[in-house]
Formats: sequence, structure tokens, C-alpha cells
Amino acid sequence: MPQPEKQSGNATLFIAGKSWLHRLHPFNKLLYILLTGVIIYAGPKGWPVEVFLITLNGIMALTGGVFTAAWRLLWRSLLPLTLFMITIHGFLHADNRIILFSFGRLHFYQEGFVFAINVLLQLNAVLTASLLFVFCTHPADLISAISQAGWPPSLAYLLSSPLLLLPLMHTRIRTIQAAQRSRGLDSEGNFFKRFLALFPLVTPLVLGALVEMEQRSIALEIRGFNAPGPTTSWRTIADSTGQQAARWTMFFLIILLIIGRIFR
Amino acid sequence: MARPEILKSKFSSVTLALIAFAIVLNMATGQLVSLLKLPIFLDSIGTILVGILAGPIAGGLTGLLTNLLWGLISSPVAAAFAPVAMVIGVIAGLCARYGLFKTCWLAIISGLIITVFNAIVAVPIRLYMFGGITGSGADFITAYTLALGKDLFGSVVITVFTSNLLDKVATALLAWSIVKALPERTANRLSRVKSATT
Repeated sequence: MPQPEKQSGNATLFIAGKSWLHRLHPFNKLLYILLTGVIIYAGPKGWPVEVFLITLNGIMALTGGVFTAAWRLLWRSLLPLTLFMITIHGFLHADNRIILFSFGRLHFYQEGFVFAINVLLQLNAVLTASLLFVFCTHPADLISAISQAGWPPSLAYLLSSPLLLLPLMHTRIRTIQAAQRSRGLDSEGNFFKRFLALFPLVTPLVLGALVEMEQRSIALEIRGFNAPGPTTSWRTIADSTGQQAARWTMFFLIILLIIGRIFR
Repeated sequence: MARPEILKSKFSSVTLALIAFAIVLNMATGQLVSLLKLPIFLDSIGTILVGILAGPIAGGLTGLLTNLLWGLISSPVAAAFAPVAMVIGVIAGLCARYGLFKTCWLAIISGLIITVFNAIVAVPIRLYMFGGITGSGADFITAYTLALGKDLFGSVVITVFTSNLLDKVATALLAWSIVKALPERTANRLSRVKSATT
């Protein structure tokens, strides 16, 4: 029997809070991710920059009250990556010359190790910056900010509607799995049989979704979604001249860094 | 700041609802087929469907938004691959426009074309952002080819190709069979169905 769907008010990684990071305009946090990425991949190279950015992001996470959550997610997503990265590059990187230590005939090299650490630091800097956004921005705030900035409501719809549809889809998936198993779907046979089993599993899910899609589109139409003229919003996002100035500063820094990269 | 012209309510409400559902299908279908234990994740089934049913721009938007939302829901690492997902949608839309989803065999060819373009975008991201390693099972292929003496670039190209080939061909085939099986009533609302399949 399919399990009743848990109330998933927590479909995203957002953590409720009242810190300055939560109150910051969503676009500022988004531009900060972009700025970090541009500094890392187009700006000055070297580990001091990366370590500085990671520390800065860590301090911001602390003051925003999301440090433990960010720490946990970092471990979860970077631990497998770190293990693969250091072993594969340490043992197998093409530029390997200097041996750090050996297990019998296996040699672990310095060049691969340095390369791996460098990639991990860069990733860490960008990932921590994006975690500040993901943990401290309610999806509804992002969507309201998008429509308040004058972007078309269709974009806001496309960002919000999937978040609401996802739990429904998970329920349907469990129903289909149970139904196809009980009518004897072969999920243990050889490769070709399992490949053919894809079709009875996926087709009902997609066709069901497409039929429901039709109903949703009618619902959009009768609510005047594509109607011309200004629309009003229930949720307003606080913005200030200071924040706007910060946005433009980050924007020009990004442009400058990119231009600097091109002419270097 | 300038707003992309293509977003200015160019999409009908059918296309909008279609994209929204396709994004959810991208995210959820992998879980449905996980019980078959195949090296297939179907995370672009919705993207390719929209490409066929609503054209390259809508398809590209579906892929892009899927990975950006994935970044919000599970881990921001997924957002780094958003350009890859976007290209898959654009290419699927172009394949459908030039009649490459008309028969089962043509759909397989579309799958191959999508795999090639997927690699063109995914390889640089994997190489420069992730040093060739993403912490998934596919890393074993990279390690194996590196051990055989290939350089990192060659290894990553081989990894991206082999780990995506079956998935993309299977996705293209599924998308083709689904578009064929669409109920007449739904097909009539999506103007491109007829031109893509007959």
C-alpha cells in the first residue's frame, strides 16, 4: 500500500530564521554566488584567495545561524568527491613525478595531490557561497523578488509550480511501482528484460502527468494568467538603496574581473 | 537589467504547464526506475519530451530550470550542470524539428546526437570545475582509463560518453514512444505533435 505523503513544507533546503542573511534581498545573495564563481575561475589564482573566501563564507554562515546545516551538507556532498579526487589524482594524475609515499608497487604523488586539493578548495568556495543563498532564502521570497523586479510571471510560475508538484509525483511513483510489481513486472531478469521493463513503468507516469498538465493549463487560463496589464503581489520583499548599491557594485566587479581575464 | 525577450509571455499556458510537469518528471522518474537497477537515470526525460512537443527554446528552458531547482532542493552541485541540461533540451527540440523523432530508429539516432552534444558541454565543466571527478560511480571509468595511460581530458571524454550513451538513447526512445501514445485530446492541444511524429 502506498504510504501517505508526509507533509513536506520542507521540500527545499531552506532553514527558517530571522538573521540579516535571511532578510537580505535574494538577488544580492545570487549575485554573491556569481561573484564568488567569477573570482575563483577568472580572478586571481592561488589558495590564499580560496581560503579567504571559504573563511568569509563560514563567518557569514555563523552569523546567519546556518553553520551546522552548511557543515553537514558540505560533508555529505564533498566527502565522496574528496575521497575519489585525492586517490584518483594522487595515484594516477598524468603529471605525477614526485613520490610522497608508496604502498608496495603503488605510488602516491605530490603533483596529483596538490591538483586535487586545489580543485576541492575552488569547489568549496563556490559551494559555500551558494549554500548561503539556498539555506537563507525562502523559495517564495525568490519568486516574489523575481516578479517584483518586473520579470514575467511565467518564470515565477515555472520556479514555484514544480516544488508543489513534486510530492504529488512521488506518491504516484509509489503507486505505479506497486501496481507493476503486483502484475508481475520482471525487475530481476537479464539486462534486456529489465530494459524493456522501463516502458511499462515510465509510460503511465508521463502520460498521467501530461493529462493532468492539460487540466492545469486550463486552470491557468481561466485565472487570467496570461492577461496583460500590471499584477499585484501578496508578498513584498524588502529592498534598500544600500542593497541596490551593493548589487550594482557586485555586478561591476564581475564585469571588471571578466574583462581583466580576457585581456590578461 | 535587461530581460530575455524569449520569456516575455511567448509561451502559451499549455506550454507553461507542460514545462512545469516536465521539470518534475526530470526530478522524479529516476526514482521510479531505480528498482530495475539499470545504469539509466532518465533525468532528462521531461527535457527531451518538451523539446519534441514545444520546441528547442522551451526544451532548453526546461533543462536549465530543472538543474537550478535541483540546486535549491538537494545540492547546489547540480546547478553547475545546468548548461548541460539546457543543451540537451535545445538539441532534442532541433532533432524533432528536422524529423529525427519520426521512427524508432531515428529516435535512437537522436539519442546519439544528444549524447555527443551532452559531452561537448559536460566535459569542460567536469574538467575545469571538478578536476574530472564528480564523486559518482562514473569516476571508476575515469580511474580505469587514467590507469591505462590516457590523459585527464581523454579519460573524462570517455567517461561522459560511456556513462551517458545508454541513458540518453533510452530516454530518446521512451520520449518517442510516449509522444506516439499521447491521447488525441492532449495531442491536439500541443501543435507540434503531428509534425514531430508523422
